[in-house]
Amino acid sequence: MAPSGFVGRFFIAVERWSSSVAEHAGQLGLLAWNIGVACVRLRVSKRDILRQLHIIGIQSVMIVLIAAALIGVVTSQQGGYQMQSQIPLYVMGSVVVESVVLEMGPVLTAIVMVGRVGARITAELGTMKVSEQIDALVSVGRDPIEVLAAPRVIAMIISMPLLVAMANLMGITTGMISAQYTLGLGSETFFYGARLFWHSYDLLYSLMKALVFGVSIPLIAVHMGLRTSGGAEGVGRSTTQSVVFMTLTILVIDALFPPLFLN
Amino acid sequence: MSVAGNGSGAAIEYRNVFKAFDLPVLSGVTLSVEPGEMFALFGPSGTGKSVLLKTTIALVTPDRGDVIVGGESVYFGGRDALERIRRMVGFVFQYAALFDSLTVFENVEIGIPEESLKRMRANEVAHRVSESLELVNLDPSQVLGKLPSELSGGMKKRVGIARAIAGRPEILLWDEPTTGLDPVNTAAIERLITQLSDELKVTSLLVTHDIEGGLEMCDRVAMLEGGRLRFCGLPEDFRASKDPVVNAFTDRKAATAALDTLEIT
Ligand SMILES: Nc1ncnc2c1ncn2[C@@H]1O[C@H](COP(=O)(O)OP(=O)(O)OP(=O)(O)O)[C@@H](O)[C@H]1O
Ligand SMILES: [Mg+2]
Repeated sequence: MAPSGFVGRFFIAVERWSSSVAEHAGQLGLLAWNIGVACVRLRVSKRDILRQLHIIGIQSVMIVLIAAALIGVVTSQQGGYQMQSQIPLYVMGSVVVESVVLEMGPVLTAIVMVGRVGARITAELGTMKVSEQIDALVSVGRDPIEVLAAPRVIAMIISMPLLVAMANLMGITTGMISAQYTLGLGSETFFYGARLFWHSYDLLYSLMKALVFGVSIPLIAVHMGLRTSGGAEGVGRSTTQSVVFMTLTILVIDALFPPLFLN
Repeated sequence: MSVAGNGSGAAIEYRNVFKAFDLPVLSGVTLSVEPGEMFALFGPSGTGKSVLLKTTIALVTPDRGDVIVGGESVYFGGRDALERIRRMVGFVFQYAALFDSLTVFENVEIGIPEESLKRMRANEVAHRVSESLELVNLDPSQVLGKLPSELSGGMKKRVGIARAIAGRPEILLWDEPTTGLDPVNTAAIERLITQLSDELKVTSLLVTHDIEGGLEMCDRVAMLEGGRLRFCGLPEDFRASKDPVVNAFTDRKAATAALDTLEIT
């Protein structure tokens, strides 16, 4: 008997949704495992990794720094506005540094990388899939995981913490400069405030986030690319889905981080 | 050559292969191609000829059945066997499927197995690539540095063939190698297939809509229709067949008549 009515349809939708989530999760796990195996077997070419490091890492430096610079300015402006004379100004140092390091640096860099790198990977692999280039690669005895997936994932894992570190530095610097100009807060006072609430663990926390994002983004991007079907429209569809999927994943991971690692 | 109970010695053996996408495509195809044989596979558009070829090296996994290549099972032989099979088989894709970010040189070079590439010197590789391109009637000096997007459709197709033969495979699967080529290049490719078979004892399984060409060149032919083999045998028997579906393929008038009476889509 087919369930009917709203409740029935609701349960069917939930069932379908959860089985597709389970399917994605399973395939992502398998992909991660296969990439791990490829790395352990030393089947990933250094040349491919370097090429991807250039495309994924070096070519992203500029946009990441620009985003971070703006974030530093905004954080310091907004913080200054909210505090207006009730709270000692040196607290601004801590507000800027902590929000950039703990939150804005990693998350904004990740979002930028979703657009710049994740979308690119999905579109690239998706196009290769629908034009049978992936099949062709397999037919000449090469493993798409080793040749295409692994270099991208490795390059992203290496790049992300470095990019986030740069973003943090940039955000703090512009935040400080901006506080100096608009609030008249000198750099010494700024750092005094920053040091007051600083734990060296905060940096680790920031880089851990970067690392987890650095693993998730390319894994999802590769996974969505390789399961593309249906021509140009299919590539468009899977790229969009991939971006949504990556963005949500980043926000969920970001929300899980404080309860798990900040106590 | 160790896999369970296979004493037939066929180069390729499809055993009761089933595959459905939304609709059934292959419903129990059993076919064997002998070593060194040139075998042509005909069939209406959309009956699953390309799908059948792809099951040979597990680009498409059948729902049921198995394929045996060189005595080893593609689906139950494990990862190493599959790797050996893929090295042994060259695949010519219907739409060339060139790597669009690689040059023609790199596209053909990648057809050489990794282990061989490691052993070969750079000039040996370059020689092998040029040789493969010359075999498909392309001038290496003119195309080597080009990207696929700078080639014509027929040229892409021939680069795809060069890639498939660059690794010196023992078995070649040709998915419509001459469709879209001019008569001279068609002749060149047909001569290449014959040469490979005569001189290097390469086994060729050829999907083609060029019925006359296929019947002339090949040792045996088969026709796939409605998910099954409608005919499998010698070219002369194909010509002499009374089956209206087969006739529709050998005779233009019968084809026109079939358009109205038979359900070939
Ligand atoms: N990846 C796929 N997903 C869904 N359906 C597919 C897929 N590949 C093939 N099909 C379907 O399988 C059927 C057979 O396709 P196939 O490409 O093998 O035909 P063909 O015999 O090679 O035809 P042609 O002579 O036109 O090349 C078609 O109906 C096609 O729609
Ligand atoms: Mg086809």
